[in-house]
Amino acid sequence: MRAFAYTRAEDEGAALRAAEHAEAAYLAGGTTLLDLMKLEVMAPGRLVDVNALPLNAVEVRADGVRIGALATNTDVAYHEVIRARYPVLSEALLAGASPQLRNMATVGGNLMQRTRCPYFRDPPAPCNKRAPGSGCSAVEGYSRAHAVLGGSGACVATHASDMCVALAALDAVVHTRGARGERSIPFTDFHLLPGDHPERETVLEHGELITAVTLPASPLAAHSRYLKVRDRASYAFALASVAAALDVQGGIIVAARVALGGVATKPWRAFDAEKALVGKAPGDVAFRAAAEIALRGAAPLRDNAFKVELAKRVIVRALASVGEAS
Amino acid sequence: MSLRERFSSVRRRLVPALAAGDLVPDLVFEDDRGEVISLRGLAGRPFVVAVSSKWNAGSDAPVREGELRAELRGLGAALLVVSARGAWFLEADDPRRDLALCDADGGHDAVYHALGVLRDDDGEHPFMLFVVDARSTIRKVHVEPAGAREALAVLIALRAAMEALRARPAAQPILLNRRELVITTLVSAFALLALDGCSRSEPSPLPAPAAPAPASPTVEVKLHVNGSEHALALEPRVTLLDALREQLGLTGTKKGCDHGQCGACTVLVDGRRINACLTLAVMHQEAQITTIEGLARGGELHPMQAAFIERDAFQCGYCTPGQILSAVALVSEKRARDEAEIRELMSGNICRCGAYPNIVAAIQDVQRMG
Repeated sequence: MRAFAYTRAEDEGAALRAAEHAEAAYLAGGTTLLDLMKLEVMAPGRLVDVNALPLNAVEVRADGVRIGALATNTDVAYHEVIRARYPVLSEALLAGASPQLRNMATVGGNLMQRTRCPYFRDPPAPCNKRAPGSGCSAVEGYSRAHAVLGGSGACVATHASDMCVALAALDAVVHTRGARGERSIPFTDFHLLPGDHPERETVLEHGELITAVTLPASPLAAHSRYLKVRDRASYAFALASVAAALDVQGGIIVAARVALGGVATKPWRAFDAEKALVGKAPGDVAFRAAAEIALRGAAPLRDNAFKVELAKRVIVRALASVGEAS
Repeated sequence: MSLRERFSSVRRRLVPALAAGDLVPDLVFEDDRGEVISLRGLAGRPFVVAVSSKWNAGSDAPVREGELRAELRGLGAALLVVSARGAWFLEADDPRRDLALCDADGGHDAVYHALGVLRDDDGEHPFMLFVVDARSTIRKVHVEPAGAREALAVLIALRAAMEALRARPAAQPILLNRRELVITTLVSAFALLALDGCSRSEPSPLPAPAAPAPASPTVEVKLHVNGSEHALALEPRVTLLDALREQLGLTGTKKGCDHGQCGACTVLVDGRRINACLTLAVMHQEAQITTIEGLARGGELHPMQAAFIERDAFQCGYCTPGQILSAVALVSEKRARDEAEIRELMSGNICRCGAYPNIVAAIQDVQRMG
């Protein structure tokens, strides 16, 4: 690990000032950042430790829930209100990592989780995300773990977070504070597609601090599930995962949410599939039709074509499990 | 006589008069151009002196000298090797220097004499290693009976020996543990290779050294571990795992993958289990940290430790400290209600020996105790 200057910020103002430094990065749980610093994939010259900031509360409000950026994955996953009203979020968090890592990882940090693409994690390999302009090793390389949705010629790395898939389905909002004040970013606008600049992963500006994520109150959210398929039963990244929610009234779907993980370059909201579900009776026919629509734009690589059919089946199963519950 | 008995009896007779905390004797060497190297004259930076009468040329130790040089450069350290065949000095950026003192047996004996060591019953001198800090103070002494040693990964050895040297304050007594014994063995293997290199008439071309990772200023860090408070001076980049193992000598917490994937480094921080490899020591100054060394109460094992023994819940044992701490936390979390949930909530602890069924059984035993 490269040496760095360390600053412990005692309040948000101090954190923002310290992070103005060109080489600064915020340090929360550290589970992604320190991992990548050991690999020298990331090498910030200055770490601003924000763990002393009072941002770890989960507050239940009339219009939804406000989750502080420093709430740990464990705190959120086992929070009674989250489990009851937003089960997809609890399930997604518990499907990710291990109890030890969930005790460390924070909600804000999870939004900034980096890809597990093996070429990104291997500094000698060309990688446009790590070293812009150096090329993409995965496009011509071993691509079994890579994205079938949202990729570009420059990058096909999947987004690694489970939590973010649930937040995409829940219409979450990311709250930040930066040099230009506070702002609220709809979750589906927060992450960027790789395009020609895979090194840019979010809309955050340098030094901008995530302070909270809010979840709107929603009749959908209580009927939601997260289903994750992976190479081993636990403690592995997704090959395909689905956050699904349905609002069924009088035997007809009146609203639906479908978001995908493990198959796309960002937490992937399948808007067209959701529209196709509205007005239909819940069941295999409607679910399969929605799944086909969700993967319509899929562009598989040499080794990951299996993900297209896998994702469709996971969508059908996730929707079916929600349908049974509602 | 068992190996153990032989080892200790030889050690008793051959322990040098010098010990940790003493000043290094001012041995003086001369290289083939007449330039003098004295041990006291090296003050200002750390160095390692390795002495043996038994080393021979011809080792095939897989050591790349360029990498060794990079290590020495990164640490600002030097290495001096003395044997019956000769003496030899390595610095990061200078050509290797053959030293003249040891071209005769008398010179070699003089080194042992200065260190206060006699030959053993077979007329052999022991292998000795002295780690000396920048103030010419001996920080570590290791003595082993003369004998063949295997050539191993010496680069790792030098790094570890030097890091041990950097890590400990000089005032602290230094005891040789099993880990350091391995280190000294490895350094001796390095010496084998070095002497082999010296015996050639032409110097071998050196690979370009890797860039060292420069150090940053240390910061004061207070850690509360197993009920004791420790004040340390650490670089900010030191992980909690490395601080526990390298600074506090609490090597029960294991380094497996060092990337949060295996769970061998699991410790409790304010009762919560975390991976000590993916967090910085400086982040935990107000927390109570519990390692495997802190679980037993007096002579009484923690119930989870006792259950692991009772159920034979390990084979090689490397993952066991992490398994036990993770299991202790799992029981206190009260979220695992059946075997499937135990397995899911222990999935962050990998056991390559596959002791999982017995680990689950041990956890269930402790759960039943309430």
